[in-house]
Amino acid sequence: MDFLAAIEESGLATWVRESPSIFAYATVLAIHTFGLALIVGLSGAVGLRTLGFAPGVSLSALGRFFPLMWVGFWLNFASGLVLVAIDARVFLTMPTFYIKMLAIALALTTLRLLRKEVVGPEGTDDATATASAKGKLLAGALLLFWLTAVTSGRVTAYDAYIGRQTAGAVLVLGVLLLLGGQIGARVLRGGTGNERSTMSTIPSRR
Amino acid sequence: MEAFLRYILRWPILEQFIQAYAWVWPLAEVMHFVGLALLIGTVGLFDLRLLGMGKGLAVAPVRRLLPWGVFGFVLCVASGSLFVGGLWANIAVHPYDVLIVNRFLQTKLIFIGLAGLNLLVFNLTGVSRAVDQIGPGEDAPPMAKAIAAASLFLWFGVIYVGRLIVWGNLSI
Repeated sequence: MDFLAAIEESGLATWVRESPSIFAYATVLAIHTFGLALIVGLSGAVGLRTLGFAPGVSLSALGRFFPLMWVGFWLNFASGLVLVAIDARVFLTMPTFYIKMLAIALALTTLRLLRKEVVGPEGTDDATATASAKGKLLAGALLLFWLTAVTSGRVTAYDAYIGRQTAGAVLVLGVLLLLGGQIGARVLRGGTGNERSTMSTIPSRR
Repeated sequence: MEAFLRYILRWPILEQFIQAYAWVWPLAEVMHFVGLALLIGTVGLFDLRLLGMGKGLAVAPVRRLLPWGVFGFVLCVASGSLFVGGLWANIAVHPYDVLIVNRFLQTKLIFIGLAGLNLLVFNLTGVSRAVDQIGPGEDAPPMAKAIAAASLFLWFGVIYVGRLIVWGNLSI
């Protein structure tokens, strides 16, 4: 604990925590949100494409966005270090924080596997190709890990009990939205349930 | 006008909901973050393609990701409305008082409005139809690039000032 207290008392941590300037704590948090938008948002879009939304988007061409995702990750690694340092004793003794770290590690590993599985060398793929079952599984896992990371990150600001309740609420809402989306999509498509039928010139089968 | 705004901005039913269940506020926060990630991940990706990143992508198919951005925006508006309408339950300050003094919240709302206007320009000036013809490896016209750059600037600006709201004045 002395070590953690020393981190909190360091010059940088003290300034970020105690400065009234919006360029201290508030801006570090904003950078953490920019990073989230880049890594979670862009990799999430690749995940959605892999799952079959937006057919026609070339997966190999999406490979060009990976460096920007990593920019987002490193922004969050750096800003995250600062955010942990200013409250080291709280964060580093909190199970929720470690759940977040684990979820991020799993998401990044999944993202690497997903890239290997579905994003080939540029210009070699058919843009309308459907991803493999393994690719879809990885994409689904990626989205789930990111949701876990975002949720656990957010509830580090609350008591563990409220955090667990919130995680439950996120899960229930997620399942409801997923079911609602499935039903909605089926109704809109007149029951064909075939995503690609909108792409082809062949009339959809009944 | 003030009386009217004071009346419509506070939602007692939301306040009761937030007070009754401790998970409501953090759930809305999670929705807000998931929503912004979806918005930047799809709309931002579309903007970046128009600006020349990932040129191997034909533009028209990328558009099919945009409904997810709209969904993300809806998540943000729903949760954001809860933050405003139910604010009293969280910090016992009238949302009207925040709205008229908090520069960050004001800037955020203006930026969202400008992003909407930007989208309107994109759709009404024919740029929207023009970019659909852009195939793999092709460059977008300058007007499309300007609109895409404005969109990126405004949405990241929304995130930045949005994060600052709690550091602005929260009451008069």
